[in-house]
Amino acid sequence: MNPLELTLGIMTAVGGFVDISQLVFSGQAGSMFGYSLIWAFGISTIGIMVYGEMCGRVAAVAHQPLFSLMRHRLGLKLGLVTLIASFLSTLVTTAAEIGGLGMILNHLTGASYLLMCVVSTLVLMASMWILPFKWIERTYGLLGLFMIVFIVALVVIHPPWSKIASGFVPSVPHGLSAKQLFNYSYFVVAIFSAVMFPYEAFFYSSGGIEEQWGPKDLLTNRVTSIVGMGLGSLLSIAILALAALLFAPANVAPQIPGSVALQTAIPLGKLGLVMALLGMLFAVAGAAVETCMANAYSVSQFFGWEWGRHKKPWEAPRFTIAWIIVMLLALAIVMTGVEVMSLVGYAVVFSIVILPLSYLPLMLLANDKNYMRGYANKWLAKILGWLFFVIVTIAAIAAIPLYVLTAGGQG
Amino acid sequence: MRRDAPIKMVSQLLDLPLIDRDGRWCGVVDDVELDGTPGRAMRIKALLVGPGAYEGRLPGCAFWLVRKVAGDRIARVPWDRVKNVASAVHLECRAEEVKLHRTEDEARRWIPKWGAM
Repeated sequence: MNPLELTLGIMTAVGGFVDISQLVFSGQAGSMFGYSLIWAFGISTIGIMVYGEMCGRVAAVAHQPLFSLMRHRLGLKLGLVTLIASFLSTLVTTAAEIGGLGMILNHLTGASYLLMCVVSTLVLMASMWILPFKWIERTYGLLGLFMIVFIVALVVIHPPWSKIASGFVPSVPHGLSAKQLFNYSYFVVAIFSAVMFPYEAFFYSSGGIEEQWGPKDLLTNRVTSIVGMGLGSLLSIAILALAALLFAPANVAPQIPGSVALQTAIPLGKLGLVMALLGMLFAVAGAAVETCMANAYSVSQFFGWEWGRHKKPWEAPRFTIAWIIVMLLALAIVMTGVEVMSLVGYAVVFSIVILPLSYLPLMLLANDKNYMRGYANKWLAKILGWLFFVIVTIAAIAAIPLYVLTAGGQG
Repeated sequence: MRRDAPIKMVSQLLDLPLIDRDGRWCGVVDDVELDGTPGRAMRIKALLVGPGAYEGRLPGCAFWLVRKVAGDRIARVPWDRVKNVASAVHLECRAEEVKLHRTEDEARRWIPKWGAM
């Protein structure tokens, strides 16, 4: 294991962890419910660590990405239904990320929101064309580390650490009305979805194959998925805690990414604000690229096309056409004028609904000793895998009714 | 798994990706052509690859839509061109030798060949 590669891998995972949905939901969760939803971030992060590690292990040992396994395990009919559902939910997520980029660039430059959406889409597409996989992943992941400014801001304002720590224990705040209870439940589901987005598994599993992982990389995979994702989750928790401290007393619920960035301006001034906006810009840009590529990976792997950005774009032509179309479709959605916050809501609800179908084939294959030999799931991975499968299934069943009942968390 | 070993068609073969001698992805096992008569062992004659092979595997209206979008092309990959079956079906030949990779090659003409690292 190369220590430099490992450190870079961890830093990339940290900087690439947060996306627009996590920014929005962590800010709103803190301002509406104080520290009481930290546990949802904690538990869902363990979930994505478990499945992330499994995805990387399957990629390293069976050399098969997730969507290819999904087709083999679910069959053509159910596989096709999953592909379409996953494609649509991830497309909406890409649109939400592009919309988020447009808003952040609007805050930074003052230029028109829609113009910034177009510019950022073109820049993202150019970077995907020019850079090979490893550079794409590293560039956005490492630049996303500007987000650490949120942790610095939290430390500087001397928060009540004991109250933050108590937020890691699952509990429901006392004295909530039925309406508030539904809202709280919606936020729990939305946070689980935002942290465990299926695109993350598709991207991570395909990334393992892009980087030609083998059994020798299993330790790197384990450390990256556990430490990197764990530290990445701290960024979201810092945003939540800052919102609880700074926004909740003033009864302010951040509705746009710019409000979340203001959390750093209060303790750190203009420099903090600019760093927060830059961190958000690169983190969201990275998520836009990941979601777009995840969709292109899914379609290509389902139909057995050449795929991957370790190849030149013309060496995997249908994959290239797929990601170009996904990016343009996402931009078209944004250009209709639909609000970014609505897109974020649709993205988390649609995504949680397909989570069980995404993770079931992964679990089945990671348990299968024929494919995985001595690297098949051991007892801990099996228990945690099935436990989180039950949790995401319950969340998937509850998601749409809660979305309707709470008008997307606004009710 | 060797080519001549007994195989469970649905769980070990159907819907697996095909990878050619050069490591290129060249489709998925969409259906299987069998050879045999009642009372005797069935043998796999060929793997069928392409949207035309979805007929019978998808509901009629879904297949109609697939045919409109992707056509009904089928490539037959003789079983004796299969090297082994694992988490993918590995071919002992290049994709072009069994008439795979055609759409990929057509699509390549649309992609500019410059500017990428």
